Amino acid sequence: MLNRRDAALSFGALWTALVLPAGARAQTTPPLGWTPKAVTADQARTLDAVAEIMIPATSTPGARAAGVPQFVDRALATWCTPADAAALKAGLDQIDTDARASGGAAFAALPAAQQAALVSRYDADGKAFWRQLKELVTTGYFTSEPGATIALRYDPVPGDYRGCVPLKDIGRGWATS
Amino acid sequence: MANLNNRARAENTYDAIVVGSGITGGYAAKELTEKGLKVLVLERGRMVRHIEDYPTAQTNPWEAKYPKGKLPKAEMDAHYKVQQRTGYAVTEFSQHFFVKDDENPYTETQSFDWIRGHHVGGRSITWGRQTYRHSDLDFEANAKQGIGVDWPIRYADLAPWYDRVERFIGVSGQAEGLSQLPDGVFQPPMEMNCVEKAFKSSVEGKLGRRITIGRCAHLTAPTEEQLALGRGKCQSRNLCVRGCPFGAYFSSNAATLVAAERTGNLKIRANSIVTELIFDPKANNASGVRVLDEQTGETMEFHAAVIFLCASALSTAWILLNSKSRRFPNGFGNESDQVGRNVMDHHLGVGAIGEVPGYEDMYYSGRRPNGIYIPRFRNLGDAASARKDFVRGYGYQGGAGRQGWDRPVGGVGADRKAALSQPGPWMFRIGGFGEILPYADNRVTLNTSVKDKYGLPTLTFDVSIRENEKAMRKDMAAAAAEMLEAAGFKKIIAGDQGYSPGLGIHEMGTARMGRDPKTSVLNAHNQMHECRNVYITDGAAMTSAACVNPSLTYMALTARAAAHAVDAKTRGEL
Repeated sequence: MLNRRDAALSFGALWTALVLPAGARAQTTPPLGWTPKAVTADQARTLDAVAEIMIPATSTPGARAAGVPQFVDRALATWCTPADAAALKAGLDQIDTDARASGGAAFAALPAAQQAALVSRYDADGKAFWRQLKELVTTGYFTSEPGATIALRYDPVPGDYRGCVPLKDIGRGWATS
Repeated sequence: MANLNNRARAENTYDAIVVGSGITGGYAAKELTEKGLKVLVLERGRMVRHIEDYPTAQTNPWEAKYPKGKLPKAEMDAHYKVQQRTGYAVTEFSQHFFVKDDENPYTETQSFDWIRGHHVGGRSITWGRQTYRHSDLDFEANAKQGIGVDWPIRYADLAPWYDRVERFIGVSGQAEGLSQLPDGVFQPPMEMNCVEKAFKSSVEGKLGRRITIGRCAHLTAPTEEQLALGRGKCQSRNLCVRGCPFGAYFSSNAATLVAAERTGNLKIRANSIVTELIFDPKANNASGVRVLDEQTGETMEFHAAVIFLCASALSTAWILLNSKSRRFPNGFGNESDQVGRNVMDHHLGVGAIGEVPGYEDMYYSGRRPNGIYIPRFRNLGDAASARKDFVRGYGYQGGAGRQGWDRPVGGVGADRKAALSQPGPWMFRIGGFGEILPYADNRVTLNTSVKDKYGLPTLTFDVSIRENEKAMRKDMAAAAAEMLEAAGFKKIIAGDQGYSPGLGIHEMGTARMGRDPKTSVLNAHNQMHECRNVYITDGAAMTSAACVNPSLTYMALTARAAAHAVDAKTRGEL
């Protein structure tokens, strides 16, 4: 298991980058750094941006640092039904189409404020593809090593069970039940 | 040639054969080998060695192949059409301990959920580990109510064997002094959490119903004997279904088969499907079993003076029904026509759930592989607990816990992330386990037109619950809601999610014990009335189901029968 402190250090650079104030300027699209299995490169960039907005880096790592886009891509390749995978990929395309229509650029390249406006709209609409994407991103994050061991608490071998413990002594939710 | 045949027969001859390596097969092997018998255990599935064959026991969440370990729908539908009906059992972490349904067909005249695993250890690896004794309320009920047949034993006959088994397997629990749920040999109980303690106090105070911590086959203070077998204390991982690398919960693999192996008297043969018992007309007993080697396709015979059928209630019934001879044209030991009848289970899927206000500053540490237990409080023999709408009773299992990161929280972004990083509201849930009566027409029959991949006949199931169980289910929902209300919980939802027989995974009754060979298959010592060297000690033997988890009773019956068999063999009776 990744040591909590080591994990915090290894993801440190990424948080620093991500907690910088979001400008109103268009963002440069970051290189992916991984090879998608199920989605296209464009869909991957959208997925990467959406995932990080859903679960941003805060005092703990965000979705990107936790490898959530790769998790979703792998789920699309190996786990989702073909119909669900197609709907989710079409949804990613739709996000880009909407971004170009409203902001003149791919979603990943839009200014943060415009990304946020689009995301609020999808979240309010609650279409099936969005709900599934959100669920996959959430699962991917909280079952990732940084999600489970830094955002949450994880103890593979607790030893004793103690039934009544002040929450402040634990600090966070348990990663597994 | 004659010499060669004699030698082959000698090599395939043991003092005892045990069919099946699950919770009773393992126990029979332990008891018989410890008493000096050379024992062959035949297991139809593959070998599973303790620890080394638990491939997912240490898998972390982020090492899962699929989201939350859930198998893709296509794989579920192709291979686990029945096994997935539990909704929880088959995941990427546990699938190797469940059968593939496409390779193990059966026919459902009425829906029956046959959840099982073919491997050394059987369902002792994947069982729920809840461990309770039957009481005389259970052993006397059939006779008092004129239902089914009378058990040929009473609590006093089994009590020392319960003691013996509990001492060996290790049972954590709290003594309560209840006549309907006898206390046993307990290791220290697991702790209730804050909300469960409050629930206990409210319900005991307002409704007079006892709340106790679940009695479970986990070591909380291992004995010398258990430590010597390589078993250790429960580590509160709650990953039991994957196999326990600490040997902390009881399984054949961690305990009985290890003890049996250490005697030097055990031989386990995996991949060996017992297709029939061989009747010897000259000796008027079973001379052995016929086996299909699952890997080579070879048919072979093994011989022994004593045979224990511990294949699980339905597979044992299948073996008997498939063992036809001039002596037993309707199946082995089946002159009573009771083999395959009286199929019972525990009906479940009814209870209540509620949200618990408060306790936001309290949590717990460790994952307790156990819950609370609410012992039966209906029809205990006194006027206050008597019901007019149904006979027998039910207990509840459940407990409290805080919702986790996968609860619904709206929105996206940092606030939602922060909320999900903290535990959610406390929830409380209880679900009933109700007794099913023995109905002669709840039965399995041999189906010779549907064959499995080995060309063997299969089973057809025709099992349903009736008016008594349906009336009980209404009360199970209502009484559950009543308790959650008494505890002051909110948003209470009580109801019936539906139930198909089998879903309790407590199949029993297909070769019942009884006093009369005309109406039962086994006598008071689990011997076949019609063939005294065949003992059946799995769930098939059960004359009634009671409402408690049955494995402990199966093991106690097994230990008692094994002692009887060894004595009878020593006296030259077998």
